[in-house]
Amino acid sequence: MADITQIIRFDDLASKDSPIHNLEGRIKLISTLLIIIVCVVSKELFIPIVLEIMLLIILKIAKLSYVDSFKRLLMLLPFGGAIIIFQPFIQPGNIIWSYSWLHITDFGLNWAILLLVRLIVSLTTIIIYSSTTPLQEMASSFRKLKMPRDLAMILSIMVRFLFLFVDELAAIRKSQKSRNFDIHSKKVSYKWTVKQVGYTIGMMFLKAYEQGERVHKSMVSRGFSDTSEMFNEKKSPEKSDYIYIISIIVIIIILEIIVFKYSGQLGYFGQNFSIN
Amino acid sequence: MHIPDGFIPISQCLIYYVILIVALYFSVKWARSNLDEKRIPLLAVLAAGIFAIMSMNMPIPFGTSGHMVGGALVAIVFLAPEAAVLVFTVVLLIQALIFGDGGITALGANVLNMAIIGGFVGLYTFKALKNMIGKYAAAGIGAWLATVLAALACAIEMAIAGTFPVSVGIPSMVLYHFFIGIIEAVLTVIVLVALDKFRPDLLAWNKSEGDA
Repeated sequence: MADITQIIRFDDLASKDSPIHNLEGRIKLISTLLIIIVCVVSKELFIPIVLEIMLLIILKIAKLSYVDSFKRLLMLLPFGGAIIIFQPFIQPGNIIWSYSWLHITDFGLNWAILLLVRLIVSLTTIIIYSSTTPLQEMASSFRKLKMPRDLAMILSIMVRFLFLFVDELAAIRKSQKSRNFDIHSKKVSYKWTVKQVGYTIGMMFLKAYEQGERVHKSMVSRGFSDTSEMFNEKKSPEKSDYIYIISIIVIIIILEIIVFKYSGQLGYFGQNFSIN
Repeated sequence: MHIPDGFIPISQCLIYYVILIVALYFSVKWARSNLDEKRIPLLAVLAAGIFAIMSMNMPIPFGTSGHMVGGALVAIVFLAPEAAVLVFTVVLLIQALIFGDGGITALGANVLNMAIIGGFVGLYTFKALKNMIGKYAAAGIGAWLATVLAALACAIEMAIAGTFPVSVGIPSMVLYHFFIGIIEAVLTVIVLVALDKFRPDLLAWNKSEGDA
């Protein structure tokens, strides 16, 4: 799990100014979902690779750093990467390399490449989305897109309190450090370390619960009831929002037509590598 | 155990989303009748806390590290797996959107493993064993089994998707989570002991005992 203290940095990045940052929240959310779904459905390399190039251009327009985004991508790869790395060895197919019982198949290798490209495109999309959209805007986009009331409210309030717990976590870590607590220390017994972590988690759980009760009381004292609705700022998509989403849809349609009609001419990039 | 985007074909993702929607429907219904208007702030702030708890990495012998999930813990505290479903749906949604930890298309599968399976297995193991071996031992075994079965479910989903064959996926995922599960169990028990000591009124098991 990524370090949540990073969330403050992401929200900082998301509050900057650029044509992508200024897009309406729903437009950004829908385009993010659209790109990820198209990428997940793609059986050939062509579409995800062109989408990645498009995303790199969007990254530039959003004035985001390539180096920082790349570092974030590397941090996110491990779990998916670990599964991908096995694919060339475990999928059946024509053996292209072998060493004693270990062998790599062409089928497995191509499938691994497709999975990796899909993963990179999805993660790049998420990096752009989370670096250009503040958390509150994410929550309000879900609300405007008709997420069920209870869930949308839980999401909105949760997002507000996330920062409080990030601070809380940082304070706990600082106070533990000032007392020379080191989670990796070999000088104390493992049992003792687990106990300390358990107490910290217990305290965090208790604080979260009690904070929840206090928030409820303060909301009730301001007139909150079971029928209350959350305030939705009225903001309609502008011309630039429509241009952005329509361009993405048009690009996707063109790519699908190219793959459908000319997959033979695309060579390696037009071959179906999917096994599912 | 967060499945990323691209590993499960979209048709199977849709099936997991249908399961998620049905689970959410019953969970919202449960929350309305059991937590009244308090449910929204309570579950929301708890979700924020769980988010922080999930980011506390704990070194595990053999040189790896893991973190607590807490699906069984939330289900046992409320004596309802529905609470875990609500909390983890928002937690996993934000994790997917901000950190790319777990995919958007795989959200249904991830909630199914960590909250629905995790919550149900944790709670019902606890309920089945608590009179035989005591509350804390039952909660510990529940949390351990929840982690192992959630990992097993994750391996099976990947096998159905064709991404990871059963012969490799199940032993590796289950073996790894066999150990992670022990940590999950110990931490779950410590948190429950602490809650019982400082705020016994928060634990639903105290309320049901009081009612009876």
